[in-house]
Amino acid sequence: MHMVKETRKPDSRTDDKHVGNKSGDNSGDDVRQPTYLPNFCSSPIVFGVVLIAALTAIALTLARQNEWGMFFTDLAKTSLLMVWTSLAISTSLCLLRTRLNRLSKARASALAFAAVISIIIMVSEIIYWLGSIYSTPQMAVPNSWFPQNHWYFLSSNVVIGTIIAGLVLRYFYVSHQWQRNVESEARTRIHALQARIRPHFLFNSMNTIAELTRTNPMAAEAAVVNLSDLFRASLADSKKLVPLTQELEVTRVYQEMEQQRLGDRLIVKWQLDDLPQQAHIPSLTLQPLLENAIYHGVEPLPDKGIIEIEGRRKGNMIYLSVRNPLPINKFKSETGNQIALENIRERLELAFGSSASLSRAIDQTHYQVSIAFPVKE
Amino acid sequence: MTTTVLITDDEAPARSRLRRLLDELTGYKVIGEAANGNEALQICLTESPDIILLDIRMPDTDGIETARHLATFHDSPAVIFTTAFDSYAIKAFDTHAIGYLLKPVRREKLERALGFATQLARPQIEALNNGQQPGTRKNICVRRRTNLHLIPIKDVMYFQADQKYITVRHVNGEDLIDEPLKDLAQEFTNHFIRIHRNALVALARVERMEKTPDGQYEVWLRDCAKSLPVSRRHVTAVKACVKKRA
Repeated sequence: MHMVKETRKPDSRTDDKHVGNKSGDNSGDDVRQPTYLPNFCSSPIVFGVVLIAALTAIALTLARQNEWGMFFTDLAKTSLLMVWTSLAISTSLCLLRTRLNRLSKARASALAFAAVISIIIMVSEIIYWLGSIYSTPQMAVPNSWFPQNHWYFLSSNVVIGTIIAGLVLRYFYVSHQWQRNVESEARTRIHALQARIRPHFLFNSMNTIAELTRTNPMAAEAAVVNLSDLFRASLADSKKLVPLTQELEVTRVYQEMEQQRLGDRLIVKWQLDDLPQQAHIPSLTLQPLLENAIYHGVEPLPDKGIIEIEGRRKGNMIYLSVRNPLPINKFKSETGNQIALENIRERLELAFGSSASLSRAIDQTHYQVSIAFPVKE
Repeated sequence: MTTTVLITDDEAPARSRLRRLLDELTGYKVIGEAANGNEALQICLTESPDIILLDIRMPDTDGIETARHLATFHDSPAVIFTTAFDSYAIKAFDTHAIGYLLKPVRREKLERALGFATQLARPQIEALNNGQQPGTRKNICVRRRTNLHLIPIKDVMYFQADQKYITVRHVNGEDLIDEPLKDLAQEFTNHFIRIHRNALVALARVERMEKTPDGQYEVWLRDCAKSLPVSRRHVTAVKACVKKRA
């Protein structure tokens, strides 16, 4: 059997492009700017870089000199070196921009870092070379203007550059993450209500209840109570963590509603192996997976369809998966599904960071979504 | 005179609710229930109901495709769509449908739609059914004696008009249908190409075109032992298609 497996961790925004496009959701900025590096072609960023260079020059000079007389001459030399180096770095990162955007986070960082170091080496070499030409006794340029010790000059520049570049890249990364969290929180709120309970499910359930009120009042009562539970869960704060047992309960309630409507056509097999009682999960994480499985996997089948829900624990991690048959004649709408999965992915990320993940596996006959998250007390 | 109604829905509670509502109305008789499009077509063929209540979202042959097949029937029933939530379908049928009802169906609205459908004469219903359905069918519905069969469009090699009927040649044999070739050409314009006044062939199956000794052109199709004549005015188009596929 040919298996196509794609796994995406919540934090790898870079390869989420096609999902964003397909679902038509509004993540256009993320698509254009997958890397955390800012745009080095823009003047505010260039200004920022120059500012960082100037401030570092002041700090270095202050640390080096202990009397005012030498301070300003040294500062002038140091900042001249630093500012030109940083401008050259900005230019190179600006030119590399399209390439950097295509790379994954780690590779983009490595490339940017390599660019920084090679520019520092280049600039240092040029300065040393200029010094060896001009600072001869015949020339009017004082000796102290140029470095005397070639290797010390080069290596100290590289070490200083490495430290500062590391700090700055880290700063860009953290502020980018922070901005993304703010954005995704806002998006999650908006998606939360629309993606949770499908109108299709609501109205079909209402239709079932309308019939049951006459034919089977007891079942109708149970259905109304079940529907209330589901709506209560969907109105709760989407970021709030609920006990795993509660989420499993809501999913079972949902299954009961669908069972009422679809009868024998729906078979759900549960296999839960000793899931820890104290585990927590964002509310409505598993239920939408079952909803998708029924909507895309069972309803289009003329006969019956089997859905398998599995829960396992491995060490500190919990793995939940929902597997449904893949109908040959699929219903058209795929977008709802994508939005729901994105929504779950985002909420898992908010709750657990990069330790949680959501993955899909598709083969010729089945579709499976798995989520993994740590036990959080 | 009672009006006969067929209920089609893949969900049992939805069917039983419609049946109960219809039982409470006078003048209507439910002659059957179908759980999918194929069943509905079969029942329509043998029972010829006056009205069909048709769910849009159903497995296999959905409501929209079922309606398209019904439109090819001589005594097609008046179609009233029922749907829980399907904004696309509702938009598509806004202007044409005899009626569409939102589930849970309101008794008064059901009564009104049924009343409207009953007032229409057969020719009016056929006019409404014809040309109203958007999109293309995934199957061709053929009759063999009293049975209906759905032939997937991807299995069809060509349509050839012959006097009154059209021959559908497909991977499992031949059948006759009674639809204008012009309509088929229009509906399947993306998948079939006209090679002659009387013939459409599946684009995906066109293999090569040859010139016969007497100066005629003929086209050969994949998995088809027989060649079909290409008329002069379609030679260029067929040639372009062969080239594109090569």
